[in-house]
Amino acid sequence: MREVSFGQYYPSNSAVHKMDARVKLLLTIAFIVMVFLVKSLYAYIAIGVFILLTTLVSRVPVLKVLKSIKAIIFIVVIMSIINLFANAEGKVLCSWWIFTITDGGIITAVNLALRLIFLVMGTSLLTYTTTPMELTDGMESLMYPLKLIKVPTHDIAIIMSIALRFIPILMEEVDKIMMAQKARGACFDRGGLLQRAKALLPVLIPLFVSAFRRADELALALDARCYNATPNRTKYKKATLAIRDLIATLITGIFIVLVVAINNNFWGLY
Amino acid sequence: MEMQTENKNIVIEIQSLSYDYRNAEGEPIARGVRNVTLNIAKGEFCVLLGHNGSGKSTLAKLLNGFLLPDEGSVKVNGIDTTDEKRIYDIRSKIGMVFQNPDNQMVASIIEDDLAFGPENLGVPREEIETRITWALETVNMSEHRHRSPNKLSGGQKQRIAIASVLSMLPEVLVLDESTAMLDPKGRAEVMETALRLNKEKGMTVILITHYMDEAIKADKVIVLNEGEVVLTGSPSEVFSQKEIIKKASLELPVATSISLSLREMGYNVDFSLTDKQLAESICKLK
Repeated sequence: MREVSFGQYYPSNSAVHKMDARVKLLLTIAFIVMVFLVKSLYAYIAIGVFILLTTLVSRVPVLKVLKSIKAIIFIVVIMSIINLFANAEGKVLCSWWIFTITDGGIITAVNLALRLIFLVMGTSLLTYTTTPMELTDGMESLMYPLKLIKVPTHDIAIIMSIALRFIPILMEEVDKIMMAQKARGACFDRGGLLQRAKALLPVLIPLFVSAFRRADELALALDARCYNATPNRTKYKKATLAIRDLIATLITGIFIVLVVAINNNFWGLY
Repeated sequence: MEMQTENKNIVIEIQSLSYDYRNAEGEPIARGVRNVTLNIAKGEFCVLLGHNGSGKSTLAKLLNGFLLPDEGSVKVNGIDTTDEKRIYDIRSKIGMVFQNPDNQMVASIIEDDLAFGPENLGVPREEIETRITWALETVNMSEHRHRSPNKLSGGQKQRIAIASVLSMLPEVLVLDESTAMLDPKGRAEVMETALRLNKEKGMTVILITHYMDEAIKADKVIVLNEGEVVLTGSPSEVFSQKEIIKKASLELPVATSISLSLREMGYNVDFSLTDKQLAESICKLK
């Protein structure tokens, strides 16, 4: 089976794993907002150190967290290159035909790459340390205010949980279909971009057909197990806030203040 | 008085039931089941046999109100499946396990999947906890409680699927071709679990299959062909009807088929269902 590192739970008994999923979700959102607002390279270094420390505390192998970047490396490279040439501010470093590289361009490109990488590392740390069920339960709980305006928050939570469960199953299916097509002479790694995209069509169509069939059966199975039988649904796993959640929130809060300070050169470090 | 005591033991009561699949205009496009009358008693191990398209899965879907009868009626514990208000009373009493184990699990952690049914029914948390422990013990999968179902074998996944419906505390376990996708080892695991549930916990089991060897240990075998019940009875009663079985596009268990051929050839062997019976009666010949 293909290795899908993004979005997979890594079982462990660390303090980060034991944290309340709602707190982890909110802290991750705060982290994402911070990553998007930061502009200074020094602040990015601080963020990197923070991620590394959190990873060590969570006992998820550092290599595994780094691997999660693999999925977006293509996007990172393309976006960086575009930004490298698109930004023409600052001192011109070298220039050829219509391409000019300026130091402003380099800074934007590096900033963007780091931003995307930290974004994925931070969110994958969330999914590594939180089971999909905890995650969806946490989201449902956070969406509680929406329930008052009749948004079906529980249905949304179940949809997310099922989606996460079926990622590895559908990945396996893609592998099987590709092998079956290869056995009949299909070729996925030759030709130009258009040809390759065309070659994937015979993979996507059976995949969709089977996904719909699965959805049909799953719907029956949900009904057979009395989904929506009562509005007074109970919860087997009830998340409760603990001291560690408070400590984690404090640490992250202090860290965010620190990063903002570094970003705005509060101490005149640079 | 006697009638009443008998009725008490009947879990599922099917009266001259007919159902056709219809298109959007309401015209019948495919036959489902025709004029089926059946009673299933408490604690019975019942096997529903039939080839593809014989209507056996349609019958299963009629049992818990997925489909509603065109004619006749289906009653579970005396509740009609057309009674919309009590449909969940029926569905929680009939635990249904389907063919593909992957397509009936909702959660990525086994205990969460087991909790799904009782959660939907509003069972209190402490009770769900005990039910999960009990259900996993029953299918011998306790050590997998906190793991993901993705790395299990087909037979193990299907046992988890059984445990997931057991946590609703059903009275009837319906296995709708639940062994069809499994390898022989997985099939044996599921069969063993179903038989044990029936013998030890007194669970009523309805096993839908096209594997004849799974029918040998049943209390009651029902053979469907073209949507109609063509045979009902104990395994030996049913399998002695060679012609009808053949007509229903089914094959006799190997031991039965050999013993019947030997008898036709004039040897005095006993009618046998299992290889062991056959071997013993052949040994007795001399």
